[in-house]
Amino acid sequence: MNTAVLQVEDLRAYFRTRYFGVKREVRAVDGVTFEVRADEIYGLAGESSSGKTTLVKAIAGLVKPPLQLVDGAARFSFLPGVRTLATASPDVVRAVRWSRLSYIMQGSMSVLNPLRRIRSTFDDFARDHIAGSAAEFERAVLSHLGKVRLDSSVLDAYPHELSGGMRQRVTIALATICNPQFVIADEPTTALDVIVQREVLGMIRQLQQEIGSSVLFVTHDLGVHAALTDRLGIMYGGRLVEEAPTAQLLREPRHPYTRHLIASLPRIGTQERRDGLPGGPPNLADPATGCRFHPRCPIAMDVCRTVAPDLRPSGDDHRVACHAEGAGP
Amino acid sequence: MWRIFKDLLKHNGEFRAGALLISIVVAMAALSFISPYAPDVSYVVAPDVPPNASNWLGTTSRGQDVFWQLTFAIRNTLLFGLLVALLSRLVALMVGLLAGYCGGWVDRVLMSVNDTFNVIPLFPLLILFYFVLRDRMSTPLLAVLMASLGWAYDARLIRSIAMSLKSREFTATGIFSGMTAREILLEQHLPYIMPIVFSTALNNMNWSIGLQVTLAVLGFMDIETPTIGSMIYWANQHTAIVAGIWWWIAFPVALVVMTFVGLFLLAVSMNEYIDPRSRLAGMEGASQ
Repeated sequence: MNTAVLQVEDLRAYFRTRYFGVKREVRAVDGVTFEVRADEIYGLAGESSSGKTTLVKAIAGLVKPPLQLVDGAARFSFLPGVRTLATASPDVVRAVRWSRLSYIMQGSMSVLNPLRRIRSTFDDFARDHIAGSAAEFERAVLSHLGKVRLDSSVLDAYPHELSGGMRQRVTIALATICNPQFVIADEPTTALDVIVQREVLGMIRQLQQEIGSSVLFVTHDLGVHAALTDRLGIMYGGRLVEEAPTAQLLREPRHPYTRHLIASLPRIGTQERRDGLPGGPPNLADPATGCRFHPRCPIAMDVCRTVAPDLRPSGDDHRVACHAEGAGP
Repeated sequence: MWRIFKDLLKHNGEFRAGALLISIVVAMAALSFISPYAPDVSYVVAPDVPPNASNWLGTTSRGQDVFWQLTFAIRNTLLFGLLVALLSRLVALMVGLLAGYCGGWVDRVLMSVNDTFNVIPLFPLLILFYFVLRDRMSTPLLAVLMASLGWAYDARLIRSIAMSLKSREFTATGIFSGMTAREILLEQHLPYIMPIVFSTALNNMNWSIGLQVTLAVLGFMDIETPTIGSMIYWANQHTAIVAGIWWWIAFPVALVVMTFVGLFLLAVSMNEYIDPRSRLAGMEGASQ
């Protein structure tokens, strides 16, 4: 059960622009290494502009200028020999997208074209990936919609006739209809209120278990991660700073950034003030030298200013990128 | 579609008026098929007879019945407008969608061509075409010419919408799921653009009919085919106003004005229907 479906190695993706001779480089993803195992939901968390969406785009091969894949690999187990989807040939990419690898995009409320009925949207996106006659396709769609507890009347509706939760469930059904081995979900529940959110999360978990796929789940909401994901990676300034099984990471965070992130969560019953960290998210066009967190880090040492820490194992299935952790530099 | 039509007819005064005017004009054009006289023969009735019971709109100095002549004239004029609108919509759609969706150098090339067409002075150019082609200038040829000159404004409009559609999530998802550019443009984007195409088509018809009448009145086009413009041209040639044959010139002018106003009202009410903000403002119970 521990084989990796996705192996990301030292992935670097920068936004590079050149206007009127002025070059700018934003290092949105700067050397990220992790793996997503078979049959697990891997969570990615981090504040806005920490590179979460860029990372999943680079993994999915949605790399378009000004974004450039600079270095590294993102290998899928079902695509042996392909270093990244972004550099693979279009035929290879076409063969796996949607059928093996699907993507629930950020702002997924607007994935559905408001002028197309749900039936047509299924036709547009998934028909080419499922063999068989139109009637068989319709049966497959209906039985799949049943799994997210929607009935056939949805097919003839326009998106605006559905509630937010229903639309979200249609989007999830759309992304999973081909029983993909790998699903990338980028903030799929952010626009929903907590009650609908819980229902949708349960559905994602249930579908994931039925299909046996792996899910890469991105959201800044640690509460969602706690409820859904198996393992959790924390991103800061384009890098992965800590990774561990979700429960363990939330119980005993080791990276100072993660500690503050978790300490800032309000808890029921407490009255005390939550302290924020001074400073703001790093400017990725001009990142700090050494560890990117050191200007805000309460325990920064001299070495942090010059040497960027690697993500090193620290205990059972736990990895941290911090000089203060473990054996030190 | 039919329900939209009925709703508009019921609740939109401008649409009602426009639809009434245009149906009169279209009925007039349809009558040409049962005309007792061929359009190109003259001296079939007594010349210069004022409107009366048997010649409802009088007769011309060339011995033609104004009413029946007018049915042919408006038919040709309407067909001309439709042909220009149809052809120019095809070009505008293709250029606008491609430029907006592809972006980059495709956009830059198409838009520099587009902007060139935008700044060409039309009227002198069309007169030039007449002087070069002379007798070979026919109404269908003029329609093709005007269609190839009249697409640029609307192509830019369509491009702007296509650019915004390109950045929507469903386009990104479509690309990710492996839809081709053609499928995305035809299935995902075209439904957004059709109402605007429809509304601009009506305005484009008005523009082309107006220009055609102008050219014909001045004699800068094929004046043998009966159109509204060529009828006015012949009336002027026979000094109809000075001779007191006012009906020869008044009725064609009245009919073409009806066409203009009708098409304009339809385009305005279509616009109002397409734009949800003005649709909300016009809803019953909203403060006017």
